[in-house]
Amino acid sequence: MRIVVILGQVLDPSGIVIKRRAGRIFVNREEYVLQPADRCALEAALRIKNAALAGLRPSQGVEVVALPRGPLPDDDVLRQALATGADRAVYLTGEGFDGADDAAMARVLAVAVERLGGADLVITGATTFDTGQGQLGPRLAETLGWPQIVGAWQVEAADGRVRVVRQEGSGYVVVNADLPVVITVLPGALKPRYPDGARLINVYRAEDAVEKWDVSDLVSDLVDEAALQPLLEKRGQDFPPERERGVRLSGTPEEMAQALADTLRQRLGRRPATARER
Amino acid sequence: MDFTFAPEHIALRRLVREFAENEMAPLAMEIDREGRVPFETLRKMAKIGLLGVCFPQKYGGMGAGETGYCILMEELGRVCTSTATNVGAHIGIGAMSIYLDGTEEQKQKYLMPLARGEKLGAFVLTEADAGSDAAAIRTRAVRDGNEWVLNGTKTFNTNGSFADVVTVMAVTDPTLGARGGMTAFIVEAGTPGFKVGTHENKMGIRGSSTAELIFEDVRVPHENVLGKVGEGFISFMKTLDMGRLTLGAACLGGAQAALETSVHWAKTRKQFGVALAHKQSVQWMIADMATEVEALRSLVYRVAWLVDTGQPFTQLAAMCKMYGSEVASRAIDVALQIHGGLGYSRDFPIERNFRDARISEIFEGTNEIQRIVIASNIFRQHGVRIRP
Amino acid sequence: MDASYLDLLMAQQEEVTEEATGGGGIWVVADVVDGAVAPVTLEALGAARTLADSLGAYVYSVLLGDSVADGSTPLTTGLAQTLYQAGADGVRVANHPALARFALEPYLEVLAALFEEEQPEVVIFGATAQGQELAPRLAQRMDGGLIEHVVATSLDEATRTVVVTFPVYSGEYFEIAACPEARPQFLTIEPGTFSAPFLDPYRKGEPATLDFEPVEPAVHVVGAADDFEPPPVPLAQATVIVAAGRQAGDFELVQQLAAALGGQVAGDRGARDAGWIGPEQIVDVRGVTVAPQVYVAVGIRGDTFHNAAVEEAKFIAAIHPDPDAPIFQVADLCLEADPAEVLPALLKALT
Repeated sequence: MRIVVILGQVLDPSGIVIKRRAGRIFVNREEYVLQPADRCALEAALRIKNAALAGLRPSQGVEVVALPRGPLPDDDVLRQALATGADRAVYLTGEGFDGADDAAMARVLAVAVERLGGADLVITGATTFDTGQGQLGPRLAETLGWPQIVGAWQVEAADGRVRVVRQEGSGYVVVNADLPVVITVLPGALKPRYPDGARLINVYRAEDAVEKWDVSDLVSDLVDEAALQPLLEKRGQDFPPERERGVRLSGTPEEMAQALADTLRQRLGRRPATARER
Repeated sequence: MDFTFAPEHIALRRLVREFAENEMAPLAMEIDREGRVPFETLRKMAKIGLLGVCFPQKYGGMGAGETGYCILMEELGRVCTSTATNVGAHIGIGAMSIYLDGTEEQKQKYLMPLARGEKLGAFVLTEADAGSDAAAIRTRAVRDGNEWVLNGTKTFNTNGSFADVVTVMAVTDPTLGARGGMTAFIVEAGTPGFKVGTHENKMGIRGSSTAELIFEDVRVPHENVLGKVGEGFISFMKTLDMGRLTLGAACLGGAQAALETSVHWAKTRKQFGVALAHKQSVQWMIADMATEVEALRSLVYRVAWLVDTGQPFTQLAAMCKMYGSEVASRAIDVALQIHGGLGYSRDFPIERNFRDARISEIFEGTNEIQRIVIASNIFRQHGVRIRP
Repeated sequence: MDASYLDLLMAQQEEVTEEATGGGGIWVVADVVDGAVAPVTLEALGAARTLADSLGAYVYSVLLGDSVADGSTPLTTGLAQTLYQAGADGVRVANHPALARFALEPYLEVLAALFEEEQPEVVIFGATAQGQELAPRLAQRMDGGLIEHVVATSLDEATRTVVVTFPVYSGEYFEIAACPEARPQFLTIEPGTFSAPFLDPYRKGEPATLDFEPVEPAVHVVGAADDFEPPPVPLAQATVIVAAGRQAGDFELVQQLAAALGGQVAGDRGARDAGWIGPEQIVDVRGVTVAPQVYVAVGIRGDTFHNAAVEEAKFIAAIHPDPDAPIFQVADLCLEADPAEVLPALLKALT
């Protein structure tokens, strides 16, 4: 079984300071961390591999291959994946690739999966830590023409099927599907393992530990030559208002309670359950 | 001159920092209060290979070199000095003595499981009447056929109460003293006559074990002689040299933690209408602390580089230990002052770090001994053999 | 004029007749929750109306579901009226047992065929379980642009492009983005951020039923995950915390408030002394430092050691009877009142 894990990186927010009034972001320490949800996706893949190796499914060898979530400035997160237990990692680079968005990446990754010789399972994080977007997994599933399971808490895969625990309403359900499937894993769903020390040292010492593919080789397979063009255009930033502390509510305790309830609801995204109550 | 860390060392630091913050930090106060060794943490470290960080991979280690080991000790020391002590005694002097002086058979038999963390190690030298005066030890080893019989009592031993494998220094020829009269032996726990005596009730590093070890007619096979008979003291000195560097690294971590906490509190705590950070007296405390930390950092990693490139390092390693322990003590003392009453509370980490830091000026060779080592080395280079 | 004549007059004026379908339009895919139109769908219709008015376009909505048990009146017809009342100019309905609950393949095929024919300019989903699965797949299928978790929209009228704002790092700041060329423009909107339109009871319409061949879902629900417990979140990482202090009054109410908000219970040293919380729940630099999205301090006076441990909280609300309590210097929203009087009303307002 081949499991492809798609990993990205995000700027560590503890290294940035946001000055709301100035409308500026100061990067004090530019350090990147593996996307937390993607790290859980890798953990899910490695647990499947461990289960297979533990002899529960003796006939299956499992290969875990790491691919990038988007254009990356370097291959560090892919090395982390190798150090943690992935068997292969492929870094993508190339002219015109820098601005690729999720729509373009889905096409590129679909071809990359094919170039690997196909896969039985693709796992990635359900949401990105910074922009909160969860598009990549489903977009990739659409391009591959595979089913998807979004927002997994637990993943098991064997004998051509996958078994996933996911949230439904206020509870949790077990779902299953035939492989191949794209699964997205929630951040915090699984406690990710630490990389093995010796493996880490070896991976980081070996310059060619991560394979490198030029995207233009992949793009030529794609029907649409403009496939790398991003659809999304960034137009700037907006900043929340300066935090105003010490705002006193007025009125009776009941009136204050109502005002607080409204604010809390807005903050937590809660509304009355149905439209009927309006 | 390239002062950057290699990519594998940067990656190692990230791994250890995450491990220390997730696995060690939550337990640090608890193990100090309960006075227990966090075996669960040591097991987790063993699982990812941290307990053999500097040993070659062919011996079951991680192959990260002395630089990697200093990074490990710095990051552990930053979070929990007790755990750093447990690990340092295991890797830096316990397993290290076998790595430096063991035969290939001894390395296969003992170093490998120690490097993998399957077994834990300790280094046994000190006695009640032989601390700084290490050559005055009296534990006796007498040859009997193909075995040696050890008798004696060791004190203030770290890890010895639970270690699976210990390296013990004993007198084999009382007439010869340090030069030619002492031998190192590898002793396995469970050997009849090898007992654990009283546990020390310590001021700090209470999450580590310090105990008396008793040897009553302990029989050790001749193949467990570490190095050559009579040359034990000389090989132990090599091991202690390495240990000094890494203790300095652990002190660096402790000083770094004191600095980080102090900066955080100085910007949070307001008095007289402003944060402490705006008060010059505090600014100078922070500036001095940060400067010492940087100086120590440069010293420690330069010495690690000397070790990794096979250059002489004895004098500088002694400096690391001496300077490191004093920098750490000064840093935590100033940190305590900056935190005021809060720092004095047992519910806040400063008081534990304060108690933990103090031992570094004493064990692994007191700072007085370190100063003698440094001065001896300096004067020898000028043709003078000083008699301290 | 009497009221009934006025009603008749209003009813006649508000009959919505479906305009000739020329394609395009601002479409909203409805979410159904507990047998009613989800609030986020109404909010989406409000947003759609604003965009449509500026663009000179129509607002359409599509509703997928199943009929009620007796088969007489499809539930969807009743719900469709809500959509008209919320401002839809046209409503499409797909009614089938296979669509009773959301499943990707059945819903996707209906919507893909519909949008392929209608070629919307904009399609809006709620950022819900349904929206997060459907929007990206439709966008990829149709080469459309998609931005998720949108909290505000504006319009670039010259290019008929919707410019959106979405939160970064959970709202530390916001990114503004748009898909200037890709059509349709897909958005998922964050529930509770757009205002719902006024429901006009006189606005009515005739939904059009969609023809389709139902497809099988590829993912099967086996059953409830009985033995699954999500990993516990430590207090230091909790996103919502309700903390009690000495003046909190009835601790039972504090616990109910935490449950109502989906948060964890904590307290200051006073709460520990009162025996309400354990030592691992003390919010204090000498205890646990927290960084939640929402922190409600009930009856906590707020000394410097407590306040320093919550300084990373994104929003702090404090209830305390003493107007000089130091907690009010760090709280965003201050209620100078007795928690015993505020909590019951607060709990009532939240349910």
